Amino acid sequence: MGQCLRHQMHWEDLEEYQALTFLTRNEILCIHDTFLKLCPPGKYYKEATLTTDQVSSLPALRVNPFRDRICKVFSHNDMFSFEDVLGMASVFSEQACPSLKIEYAFRIYDFNENGFIDEEDLQRIVFRLLNSDDVSEDLLADLTSHVLNESDLDNDNMLSFSEFEHAMAKSPDFMNSFRIHFWGF
Amino acid sequence: MSESSASALPPGRRSRQTFIHPENLSVDSSGFSSPPVNFLQELPSYRSIARRRTTILSRDKQSGTLLKPTDSYSSQLEGGITENFNSQSIRKYALNISEKRRLRNIQETQMKYLSEWDQWKRYSSKSWKRFIGKAREMTTHLELWREDIRSIEGKFGTGIQSYFSFLRFLVLLNLVIFLIIFMLVLLPVLLTKYNITNSTFVLIPSEDTDVQCTIYPISSSGLIYFYSYVIDLLSGTGFLEETCLFYGHYTIDGVKFHNFTYDLPLAYLLSTIAYLALSLLWIVKRSVEGFKINLIRSEEHFQSYCNKIFAGWDFCITNRSMADLKHSSLRYELRADLEEERIRQKIAERTSEETIRIYSLRLFLNCIVLAVLAACFYAIYRATIFSQEHMKKEIDKMVFGENLLILYLPSIVITLANFITPMIFAKIIHYEDYSPGFEIRLTILRCVFMRLATICVLVFTLGSKITSCDNYSCELCGYNQKLYPCWETQVGQEMYKLMIFDLIIILAVTLFVDFPRKLLVTYCSSWKLIQCWGQQEFAIPDNVLGIVYGQTICWIGAFFSPLLPAIATLKFIIIFYVKEMSLLYTCRPSPRQFRASNSNFFFLLVLLIGLCLAIIPLTISMARIPSSKACGPFTNFNTTWEVVPKTVSTFPSSLQSLVYGVTSEAFAVPFFMIICLIMFYFIALAGAHKRVVVQLREQLSLESRDKRYLIQKLTEAQKDMKNRLDGQ
Repeated sequence: MGQCLRHQMHWEDLEEYQALTFLTRNEILCIHDTFLKLCPPGKYYKEATLTTDQVSSLPALRVNPFRDRICKVFSHNDMFSFEDVLGMASVFSEQACPSLKIEYAFRIYDFNENGFIDEEDLQRIVFRLLNSDDVSEDLLADLTSHVLNESDLDNDNMLSFSEFEHAMAKSPDFMNSFRIHFWGF
Repeated sequence: MSESSASALPPGRRSRQTFIHPENLSVDSSGFSSPPVNFLQELPSYRSIARRRTTILSRDKQSGTLLKPTDSYSSQLEGGITENFNSQSIRKYALNISEKRRLRNIQETQMKYLSEWDQWKRYSSKSWKRFIGKAREMTTHLELWREDIRSIEGKFGTGIQSYFSFLRFLVLLNLVIFLIIFMLVLLPVLLTKYNITNSTFVLIPSEDTDVQCTIYPISSSGLIYFYSYVIDLLSGTGFLEETCLFYGHYTIDGVKFHNFTYDLPLAYLLSTIAYLALSLLWIVKRSVEGFKINLIRSEEHFQSYCNKIFAGWDFCITNRSMADLKHSSLRYELRADLEEERIRQKIAERTSEETIRIYSLRLFLNCIVLAVLAACFYAIYRATIFSQEHMKKEIDKMVFGENLLILYLPSIVITLANFITPMIFAKIIHYEDYSPGFEIRLTILRCVFMRLATICVLVFTLGSKITSCDNYSCELCGYNQKLYPCWETQVGQEMYKLMIFDLIIILAVTLFVDFPRKLLVTYCSSWKLIQCWGQQEFAIPDNVLGIVYGQTICWIGAFFSPLLPAIATLKFIIIFYVKEMSLLYTCRPSPRQFRASNSNFFFLLVLLIGLCLAIIPLTISMARIPSSKACGPFTNFNTTWEVVPKTVSTFPSSLQSLVYGVTSEAFAVPFFMIICLIMFYFIALAGAHKRVVVQLREQLSLESRDKRYLIQKLTEAQKDMKNRLDGQ
């Protein structure tokens, strides 16, 4: 637990963050508290940064199989400023619009960052989801081919962003599962 | 040749030499090499989608720097965005906060160049949106049990959370139903009774009914044992029978206020129709989201792989054990789906001999299922008749326990039947050789039907007893007025007993089965038997059926007992806390998890079945069985429904003829035919759309093949050119 300068957030800053993100007042203040607890002592919160490991160890992300991808997508130079954390929380908040969530989900699932979700990415996603040591190659290949059958519309063995968007718009569980409520301890 | 291929690159793009190394090419099923990805990223279609997404693609992602504002690409981006200010709010852009701040400043400086009117318009729309946002925030605080449900979601996943959200929905529904009944029926009566307003009751004596029909003996025996109060409380007889809990209390024909007379019978009937209509509309509204998604779906199975893999992980899980459970349930689910695929293929490959054998076996087993159902219904019928006949004996001639047993006999038999039949159904379905997913659904449907039909059987048994008399009494009043002088109150009492018994059973099972089981497992885990048995699993289908059963009782009973929805609200609140404690302290989550989307649709479907099954006995009793002449607001009418025609006949004649016209056959038949035509039109339209979608998909894959062919040709040409340049 770091001992930061206990700056109360200015009212104007709070208003600005409320206008620029989907977070409510209470959520922003909660994230502010968490950030203050984690940041190194003696620094103003707007200048302090957290490492990827610190953010990965938050309860919200601790058990997530995609936490390294989430941290990669939302951080800059592998460091999180306060506004980066807010941006991340805004995408995962309940009030966020579907297009924003789909956009970031695509970026998170694109492991090799080539702008497409190809077979290699899909296999890595399935591997992370199953989290088991005895996953056979057949199972991975089967599942990958099923996903591509359903959503690869132009048969190029990859999902472009519009194909992914189309698949997620039809998916009933996406909005419910792509949500993180609580960022505190 | 070389110039033409060089100018093939579109002007204005940063030129990049794409040296295609042979090992980057891979061959896909169409036989064309699929181009390397960085080539595809330069295509105009990719770029325009990226521009629409307003992401700032950077080639130097490794260094992690954003493009500088001076970059021509991003300033084009900003120009595009500021033009669209009216359509999107700034939060929806996929940029980080400092970028959004910069955009907002640009927009605000732009606003200075607008006219006064436009400025005022934008300012007012922004403040209106802010007001709406704040109001929405306020209302989320009012949401009942928000923190509890959130924590359950975090610990147990969205499947179980959907059960508790469903329970919350039922609490709200019952509360609103009670408010409707209160406003329409209870409020005038209570205002008059306690002299709050200066109103009086209007009692119209009935003209042409036999005096015998109006006798209503209030049972008051001389010597009252102390336990009779307990029996009265548990069964609604005695001192509870005359209170406003039951129909019989409302023997009032109207309430006379200063300047108008409030027609209580009409209000009573309208409150019933209103709460049924409201329930139907609210359930349909809630299930519309699930329906919309199902309708867009073109796949056969209910759950697609895309959904399970991309939306498979609940991001709100916070603890390690729940995460492990989620992993194992995903493993189970995905393997089960692949297994189901295989079984489906196997079924498709069955020989005709096997098919005949399977179908005849299924027919036989379905007959057994029907026989089991018939046996249960018959048992309930006999128990109800036995209970009704013996209830008429003197209370003080019986022992306390025996008395309660007789009173609660139908409830006990229903509960036993609902406990045994799921086990029988689960055994039977193994032999029917369906695919696993279909097995589960069919078992659940059979249990649902069993549970809800038992209530109907009970009500119909009562109805048959009420309208059947030995030789002469039925022609007198239309119902058996010797045994049932006020039959609506008696039906209300049965519903009340069912509800109280249901609550007692749920509390008893939780206290005396779940908690000891958990204690045994924790402290005596060395015994093999206890280990096998294990902790309780939170079985969602059974719990949901339990609460839908309670809600169906409430819907049927609210007509006969106006305070029943209030009791149902309290009951569901108690059940919420009991189930929450049971979940947190005694249950382990089951390895086979329900998905939230699947669950919501299933819950509302079951609730809708319950509502439809509840409407049937209500309509029959309102329209067919003569209302009792000794009590209740409908003493001056033949049946309950007769209030409506009598009220319509008091309307002005033009309105009357309109109403008669709308309800006549001359209107109904053409209306029905037009509705059918409209439905056929929409079905044809949907079919045409599906065909177009299939054609477009084919076209899309053909276009993609063309694109890859052209790219391959282009790269070959570039290679040739490079070789030739090198060779020179």
